Amino acid sequence: MFLYFPLSEFWRTFLTSFIGLLTLAGIMTRPFRWNESRIAMAGAFAMLLLGLIRPAVAATTLLRDWNTFLFFLGMMGLSALAETAGLFDWLAVRAAQLARGSAARLFLNVFLLGSVISMIFSNDATALILTPVVYVLVTKLRLPVLPYLFACTFIADTASFLLPISNPINIIVMSHFPLDLFSFLRLLFLPSLIVIAINVAMFYWLYRAQLKGKFDFSLLPTAEKAVKHKAYFRYTLWVLAFVAPSYVVASALQFPVSIVAVVGALLLLAGALFWKRTTLLEAGKGISWSIFGFIAGMFVVVRAIQDTGLTAKLGNLLLHLSGGTSFGAVMVGTFGAALGTNLINNVPMAVVMTSSLVSIQHAAPAIRNGFVAATMFGCDLGPNLTTVGSLATILWLLILRERDVEVSGLDYFKVGALVTPVMLFAGALTIWLLL
Amino acid sequence: MRVLGCLDATNAEQIGHAAQMFTTSEPLEIALLAVIDIGPREDIDRMRERFLRPPMHHQPITEEMLAAETAAAQDIVKAGLGYVKDAEILLRHGRPELEIVKAAAEWGADVIVICARSEYGEPPHVGPRSVGHVARFVLDHAPCPVLLLRKLAREHFPIHH
Repeated sequence: MFLYFPLSEFWRTFLTSFIGLLTLAGIMTRPFRWNESRIAMAGAFAMLLLGLIRPAVAATTLLRDWNTFLFFLGMMGLSALAETAGLFDWLAVRAAQLARGSAARLFLNVFLLGSVISMIFSNDATALILTPVVYVLVTKLRLPVLPYLFACTFIADTASFLLPISNPINIIVMSHFPLDLFSFLRLLFLPSLIVIAINVAMFYWLYRAQLKGKFDFSLLPTAEKAVKHKAYFRYTLWVLAFVAPSYVVASALQFPVSIVAVVGALLLLAGALFWKRTTLLEAGKGISWSIFGFIAGMFVVVRAIQDTGLTAKLGNLLLHLSGGTSFGAVMVGTFGAALGTNLINNVPMAVVMTSSLVSIQHAAPAIRNGFVAATMFGCDLGPNLTTVGSLATILWLLILRERDVEVSGLDYFKVGALVTPVMLFAGALTIWLLL
Repeated sequence: MRVLGCLDATNAEQIGHAAQMFTTSEPLEIALLAVIDIGPREDIDRMRERFLRPPMHHQPITEEMLAAETAAAQDIVKAGLGYVKDAEILLRHGRPELEIVKAAAEWGADVIVICARSEYGEPPHVGPRSVGHVARFVLDHAPCPVLLLRKLAREHFPIHH
């Protein structure tokens, strides 16, 4: 409405930043356990109602990021339908078989399996699908659960910048700062291998006592038992054998990867319907629809803030803090993004950082690329600091602990606080050396 | 005397042997407690929240998790009964440390027998952090005396500082 009543620049900026901050604070603290997407959408509607962003600009912003929305859809569909085929159970059993009864070898195999799944299906699949599958497996094998659970949840993020499609955050950033596949791999593949190696080594050291045992091979279910329908399972493997290289080719040709993901998901859906492994309704339940509201809301809110020039100021501040050097750009970008992801979740942080980096387009290529790579790296890996929640959640858990209430979640934080800063620093240093 | 033995995946033998120390007490009632830890599932749900997903209720994998947990708990109980034949069995879901102290109060235990920590084949540990968080919580909050069990570790002595 204010659109039709002229507001001074000051009041426009004040109102926009107030609503923007309120939205981010809401996402951080989730008052009354409100869903994040509801909070983000409320922020976007407030911006639209008050005329702080024009409907046409909001629509253009959302349409411009169609690749991100479609990628989320395809990625979630692929994972859910591969799960229906029993693929993740089958892979977990195979990983255990290859461990030949050794708890330590199974631990390594879980890391390797998580890395491959994150690389091809994205970190969501590892964190949300592989973790419970591994939990069931190690419970059946009578092994200590926590090390394996931690391995799954950490590797989901640690291995999420092996390829552009390994984390939707990469797609968000690269939609605005396109990097060809070679540049992406040159800047992030080696750091990814290094942080995976650090993650594995530190976890082995932390859990060395619990990984000394053997497991009873007879407790292991057969891989065939994991397969729910042989024909659909084989078909799923064929579709994935097409999707995985297609992702690489699409990234190399800078063709939208979302189309590959959606086509792959549609092929799996067709197979699942043909062999009656799912229904449209069931398949729809495998998609988290609220994510689209969350991302759309964040895109609109951040775009309104960007129009006031505030994100440009943040970009200039980041540039200033970097001291105008590529080393500073990588370190400020990495640790700034990592801290932000733990405050406001990594999707909004990636959107804010991407918007801020628009103002540093004029900077030297090494600095600009340093910031872009560091943003993806920090937003991808940063959540490992507080793996099971944001800093706000961790603070709440600490308060509960102070009141003598034993809480879960803090174990994750202790491990994350120990391992993640090391990985962030080593990875950032490698990115800088590769610039 | 009412003795509550706290089982985990690794300590049936230790708890069994400790229970035998009370055989001179008359009348003697022994209960073996196994707790299905809900902590990992809470962690998974919290992580799902981070990925903007609802908790894992009513999903096929949830049933598989429950079945695996129950089978593991039954194995633990079976192992315990191998050492203490006539023990009463208490099976609970929750955070182990809380369930142990609650069960001790509700069952009217005169003594809780608990191991310092779960041990998966590693050598005995002596020194700081040798008592795990579950045993530490039970020591702090138990409604009755607690017998803390640990493996013989005489080779660690004398302690030189």
